[in-house]
Amino acid sequence: MLSPASSNGNLFKHHIAPNGAAYAVGALLLVLLFAGAYVSDRFATLPNLLNVHQQATGLAMVALGQTVAILTGGIDLSVGSLISVTATLTSGLADNPYGGWGTAIAAVLVLSIAVGLANGFLVLWLRVHPLIVTLGMGAVLQGAILYYSTGPAGNVPDGFDSLAYGRYAGIPVTATLVVLLYFAVSFFMRHFNLGRYVYMVGDDEHAATLTGIPRARVILFVYAFSAVCAGLTGIYLAAQFGSGQPYLGANYTLASITPVVVGGTVLSGGRGGVIGTLIGVYLLSLLNNLINFAGIPSHYQLVIQGAAIIVAVSVNLQRKRVSA
Amino acid sequence: MNSVVSKRRPPIARFLSTELLRRYGIFLFLVLLVAVSGVLSPTFLRADNVVNMLVQFAPLGIVVIGQVFVILVGGLDLSVASVMATAAVIATAFDGTNASAPAIFGATFVMCLCAGLLNGLLVTKRQVSPFLATFATAVVLQGIRFAYTQGSPSGNVPPLFHTMGTGTLGGAPVSVLMLAVCAVVFGVLLHLSTFGRRVYMVGGNAESARLVGVSPDLVRIVCYVISALLAGVAGLALSGYVGIVDNWVGRGFELDSIVAAVMGGLALSGGRGSLPGGLAGAAILVIVFNIVLLIGMPVQAQIIVKGVIIIGASACYVTRRLR
Amino acid sequence: MSGQQTVAPATNEGPIRDRIEVLQVTKRFPGVKSLDAVSFGVRAGEIHALVGENGAGKSTLMKVMAGAYLPDEGEIRFDGQPVQWKSAADAKRRGIHVIYQELVLFPQSSVAENIFAGAEPRSRFGTVDHRQMNGLAQTLLAELGVQLDPRERVGNLSVADQQMVEIAKAMAAETRVLVLDEPTAVIAGKEVQLLFERLRVLRDKGVAIIYISHRLEEIFALCDRVTVMKDGRKVGTQPVSETTRDGLVRMMVGREMNEIYPPKASLPNDTPTLLAVEGLQVGKRVFDASLAVRAGEIVGLAGMVGSGRTELASGIFGAMRAVRGTIEVRGTRRKRMTPNAAIRLGLGFVTEDRKSQGLLMYLNVAQNVTATTLKRVSRFGLLRAGAERDAGALAIKEYGIAGARPGGGVATLSGGNQQKVLISRWVRVCDSVLILDEPTRGVDVGAKAEIYRVMRQLTARGLGILMISSELQEVIGMSDRVLVMREGRIAGEVSGAQMTEHDIMRLATGAQLQPHGGEHAFAS
Repeated sequence: MLSPASSNGNLFKHHIAPNGAAYAVGALLLVLLFAGAYVSDRFATLPNLLNVHQQATGLAMVALGQTVAILTGGIDLSVGSLISVTATLTSGLADNPYGGWGTAIAAVLVLSIAVGLANGFLVLWLRVHPLIVTLGMGAVLQGAILYYSTGPAGNVPDGFDSLAYGRYAGIPVTATLVVLLYFAVSFFMRHFNLGRYVYMVGDDEHAATLTGIPRARVILFVYAFSAVCAGLTGIYLAAQFGSGQPYLGANYTLASITPVVVGGTVLSGGRGGVIGTLIGVYLLSLLNNLINFAGIPSHYQLVIQGAAIIVAVSVNLQRKRVSA
Repeated sequence: MNSVVSKRRPPIARFLSTELLRRYGIFLFLVLLVAVSGVLSPTFLRADNVVNMLVQFAPLGIVVIGQVFVILVGGLDLSVASVMATAAVIATAFDGTNASAPAIFGATFVMCLCAGLLNGLLVTKRQVSPFLATFATAVVLQGIRFAYTQGSPSGNVPPLFHTMGTGTLGGAPVSVLMLAVCAVVFGVLLHLSTFGRRVYMVGGNAESARLVGVSPDLVRIVCYVISALLAGVAGLALSGYVGIVDNWVGRGFELDSIVAAVMGGLALSGGRGSLPGGLAGAAILVIVFNIVLLIGMPVQAQIIVKGVIIIGASACYVTRRLR
Repeated sequence: MSGQQTVAPATNEGPIRDRIEVLQVTKRFPGVKSLDAVSFGVRAGEIHALVGENGAGKSTLMKVMAGAYLPDEGEIRFDGQPVQWKSAADAKRRGIHVIYQELVLFPQSSVAENIFAGAEPRSRFGTVDHRQMNGLAQTLLAELGVQLDPRERVGNLSVADQQMVEIAKAMAAETRVLVLDEPTAVIAGKEVQLLFERLRVLRDKGVAIIYISHRLEEIFALCDRVTVMKDGRKVGTQPVSETTRDGLVRMMVGREMNEIYPPKASLPNDTPTLLAVEGLQVGKRVFDASLAVRAGEIVGLAGMVGSGRTELASGIFGAMRAVRGTIEVRGTRRKRMTPNAAIRLGLGFVTEDRKSQGLLMYLNVAQNVTATTLKRVSRFGLLRAGAERDAGALAIKEYGIAGARPGGGVATLSGGNQQKVLISRWVRVCDSVLILDEPTRGVDVGAKAEIYRVMRQLTARGLGILMISSELQEVIGMSDRVLVMREGRIAGEVSGAQMTEHDIMRLATGAQLQPHGGEHAFAS
């Protein structure tokens, strides 16, 4: 399910040990829940937890795509700008005469795929480090959307906000769908060729080319997937805020990387998985929530978050790779 | 050897990927850029514009020097912007007179030392990836900064720093002189001293370096400290430029300095590149920002041009795999 | 390619036809003719050795056969039919599989996933069928006689087992021609035996196997025919049964083998001891090791792979931490050694893996040579370029590093020249004992002789040398005394008349071996 190394048999050796980091973070999550319950009796209540669940949707969605890109040893720094672009276009084009918001969303998704493929092509063809390529692409996207609008654009139609706020029997719908998506992607990474190849390319790119693994297809796929996730996040945020504006996604770029790394995926690729990221997302969201409940002024929140990140990565159980 | 297909690449591609280009290409590009800019806009080469560019270049250049050291040992420093901002806040934390200057310098020095040590120790002793370690440090500093200013900064910068940021000395802006001094001092350190040789050894192959008696951990920690100290200097200079407290001094410098370094020939994997190269990369960024402004390019286009240049310049350093 | 594990059986009727052959193949690179009208063929169901010095053209020939290079002249025939490979992948699809020294595996994936990478068996729904994959992998491994759990992560396996995975990969792909490039560079002893058995299994199934190696003993133990190459030309092809070791060497270098070992030292009894190690324990690999090296002598350190020789050397030098014991160099006794301290005491360490643990690939020759002596080429902390360049030029002249310039790169130098750069680096700073770990691995015979000569020059100057080697011939030829390690301990010492392969192997394995004629004994 996580870092796939085997299918059946010896549970600890083949399943738990390679995914040690994810389990460690899961344990931290539980610790956090208990600590929270101790600090405030409103923390560990169902309504609060459901709220956190709902509010984590945006981050979860973009971090999903980022995980897959990072698994190949790359990174996608264009997601923030892409979120801004898609959110702004979704609300801006929502009342177009060619089919309303349905067409707007379709167009936005097609654009996302195009951007992702462009990222992939540049990484493959120019052989420049993905950090630089996606950073540059992010700048290009940011400039482009500023041409379209320098402030909030349009409005999403009524009822659209149910995408962000809709609940069914009290459970946030979109948030839960995202979680299910995580499991689906995890299954894909495990049981489908392309998913396995993502890990292999991240593990040893050179070996991948020599073994006849379609590296080009893998790279194009991961960046397209990351872009689509960013696009969906933009659409969701447009629904959440009522309209999109060109700097909406600015913070999401670096924010999308944190849960990935905290969840056990290594920046050099080949190890980790989306489920770890999911746990990371909730860990960080709950931490934020807990800080609020503890009455700590928002100014100190950042300090605690930074410290929490440091702690989480320092206790990484997986075999560490020496880096500079 | 494992090189598989030996298809002959077109001559232009082979030239573009040589070591020569990596070392000298950026300077050619710089000269070309200046020439083109001069043609595109007559005000580009005017004295006041040049001074303006230099003043913009100075803080970025100082930060890039530090970033070059860190990238050479195979790391990355995403905390520089936060260090700069914290230094700027420290500059306003005292009574605003020159008497508090020593205290400001002292406090900034201590802060930079701690930040650099934190980065270095996380990366070497706890094997945290530099991206994450320095990002975490940046967040922690930001938090401390916000907590101190309570979200609404106040206070004044002593006149000395105003001079640092905006004054001139013998005709040249003080900040530019500061950059020149730093460039010379650290350029000599990196390219002519035994410590600099050790930096290249550790960045190229840390294990081989260890076996000849070099301590990779120590070298890396020193590099992170250098980067933090230089960011502090830049932050103090910028604080004088801005004049009042601003929580966001230096915003964007972390990515800009990395981009400048990569454009200047530094390899993100470490061991390759030079200080002049990094500074040339920073110069290119500053010139591009300036020229797009001068020719009246709208803000949106400016950002797009920045993106394209970043990718384009980095694409020139594609090297064949060394296996 | 989708999981069949057997290979087409050999057809042995009629005249013996080559499974693959190259005819009059020439390949030029800028400034050099890498292959000069070479004709070479391998039959189905044979193990064919390919020997020659570095630069003789073995690699180039293999790359041409496997489609990585396009020949400038000549033709390739597969089963008698002329073929033109469009790419390495093309040749691979037709059944030519090369296993390089650098294994091409994914450490994070399982054995089965590695074996079937790129060609995974699919289930009805298009997903990867793990159960079938594991089952097929199990069968393949069993046919090879390998006991491995197909679900095990390849990164956890020993190098020898990883090599088995590579071979299983070749079998899964219905390989008809298998090329092995220096397969025993990183394995020895029992693992080599097992490799040979499995190769024989493949041979009997009809696979044409090309075996490239510097280790002549292995060729006599395993191969059916041998081809010698020299300077891009084929010198000759013979059945192994009609060849002698000396004959082979003569074909390769034009020199007799025993000419390459310089005369040994005979030391007076009061020769000072430069290095004395007492009761050293290094991690879980070395226990209670004690040894001494005197001025002017070469002490050989033999033993099977895994016996702890490299760990012992690392512990002495401080590259690995010794938890117990003392190290005494020229009278200074220490418990904790670090590379820095070792260098200051005059020790030197030329490691096994020169690419990742020795050479600084981004620095030039002069910078590599002066890596240990920065102080000497600097003043007040600033490097003096002239002094550096001179040091580099001096090293090039003294050690005969052909084709190198002080400002030139080290990555493109031959193995022998790279080794000389490393040795010159340490000689500059070493004034007590120089530790050499596999000093001639991947080095051709000509350069080997030069390195041996350098070693004796050093001892004549009063240095001591501790030499780790897996080539018994080399150990016996060069050492004044031999220490044999087994499972982390020093099992014994042999010198003088007892320095025979038989005696060394006996100590290294702890078993009684039947004495063999020199030709067929193994490297340890």
